[in-house]
Amino acid sequence: MDDLRHDPDYTLFRPILEKDRRFLWMVSVLVGLIGWSIYMYLRQWKYGLSVTGLNNNVTWGFYIINFVFFIGVSHAGTLISAILRLSQAEWRRPITRMAEVITAIVLIIGGIHPIIDLGRPDRLMNVFYYGRLQSPLLWDVTAITTYFTASTVYLYVPMIPDIALLRDRTTKFRWLYKFLSWGYRGTERQKHILERAMSILMVLVIPVAVSVHTVISYIFSMTLQSGWHSTIFGPYFVTGAIYSGTATLLVVMIAFRKMYHLENYLKEIHFRYMSILLLVFSLLWTYFTFSEFLTGVYGNEPMEMKVIRFKLTGAYAPYFWSMVTLNFLIPLIVLTNKKLKTIKGILFTSIGVIIGMWLERLIIIVPSLTNTRLPLVVQAYIPSLTEWSLFIGGISMFCLLFLIFSKVFPLISIWEIRDGRAEGLEEAKGRLESYLPDRAVAEGRAQ
Amino acid sequence: MMEKREKVTPQFILFLQIMSISLIWVLVVSVIWWVLNLISLSNYLHDAQNATLAISLLIMPLFVLLAGILTYVFVGLRRNRFEDDEHA
Repeated sequence: MDDLRHDPDYTLFRPILEKDRRFLWMVSVLVGLIGWSIYMYLRQWKYGLSVTGLNNNVTWGFYIINFVFFIGVSHAGTLISAILRLSQAEWRRPITRMAEVITAIVLIIGGIHPIIDLGRPDRLMNVFYYGRLQSPLLWDVTAITTYFTASTVYLYVPMIPDIALLRDRTTKFRWLYKFLSWGYRGTERQKHILERAMSILMVLVIPVAVSVHTVISYIFSMTLQSGWHSTIFGPYFVTGAIYSGTATLLVVMIAFRKMYHLENYLKEIHFRYMSILLLVFSLLWTYFTFSEFLTGVYGNEPMEMKVIRFKLTGAYAPYFWSMVTLNFLIPLIVLTNKKLKTIKGILFTSIGVIIGMWLERLIIIVPSLTNTRLPLVVQAYIPSLTEWSLFIGGISMFCLLFLIFSKVFPLISIWEIRDGRAEGLEEAKGRLESYLPDRAVAEGRAQ
Repeated sequence: MMEKREKVTPQFILFLQIMSISLIWVLVVSVIWWVLNLISLSNYLHDAQNATLAISLLIMPLFVLLAGILTYVFVGLRRNRFEDDEHA
């Protein structure tokens, strides 16, 4: 461990090796919040869904909003990481690991929400006994299970060289590192095996990720409910998912950069590139939102208009216009202005986008259920303390699992950073030269 | 000194690793079994058989492929751990 202190990348080992009071303090608070949400859930289990704000009309509330939101956030990771790896974007190296961890953790939390929404969790087994693949709900189950498996494998395989490094150079959790490293010693053959597996995984994971949020959009768009029955819901949901995921990744990067002093690894250039991605997705999201509403308004179908009015000028107008401000106006103002596009500005925008995207899920789900086609009395949906508690519990669980991960594994891929230093520069130079016109040919033509 | 502290033997690590590969395949077989059950149910009910078959044909190879990749990595890494190795 002593020689590790002289390692140029000691900063990346430090969170694992050194004790940190702040870590214990944060874990205690998070465990307390999770404990409270477990208590509230047990209460719901005992008394049923009557402890929630759900009613005869609005049968999907906070739990399904959070389900769609968390699964959306999961797109940050694997998708962005796979695209950056495939396109050989050299600046990806300190980012990919964090992105992949977000995916794995958030998928667990998102996947729990439909079970919470069941009220009777024992009925989950009916999916296995009597499931029918004609239902988009079952498509969700299969798509999320596949995505979770693929993204966990995609997180783990590139981590093996780092786990082997920890096995050889630390004394903590050695048995775990031995078990997880599978005897990796960095031989040429082992490197080849990992590279081969990673190249298959990064191609495989992209269509799986895209299919997941498309299928999630189908649970709404396959119904004839006003405001849901739309053909663009698939790409609209995927765009929103990547947008919220990118914002979450930026928040995580900024938080852990500050907490573990990773300024030398997560440089301003990384935030600048990521913020360009955020701006692109902001514009794409705005385009889809505009398109979705314009089509509805132009059609002027009475029930569709009732839902649209409810969102634009009715009870949900404050949420709708907050969403537009947070997802479009603020990103546009901050990310196109050099003075405002600082790390603090990007953090502010990203937090706004996360809130805005959560509001978007709320606006998609609740107004359509409130304004039914049946002549029922409009029932307002007011989430109860149970729902708020479980929402906070979900966020706390995300923070806790991420913190624990950072104490056991490096948050930045050490081998990829070293690989970048050793070979990446030459590789990038060679690649750049291959993009440019051949100088000899150009000079020959000039003569 | 580091070796003296080791409480977990290499045999136990190997046992854990064999168990994990086995569990991966148990999971894959369970998923396939479940999907086959869905196909037979849709057939029995004459309910969306084509869609069921199409979705099933997508899911099953994906899980087999993922388990195959993991097995390839795990077995490959263990087998080649001493090749070209200075410390071996």
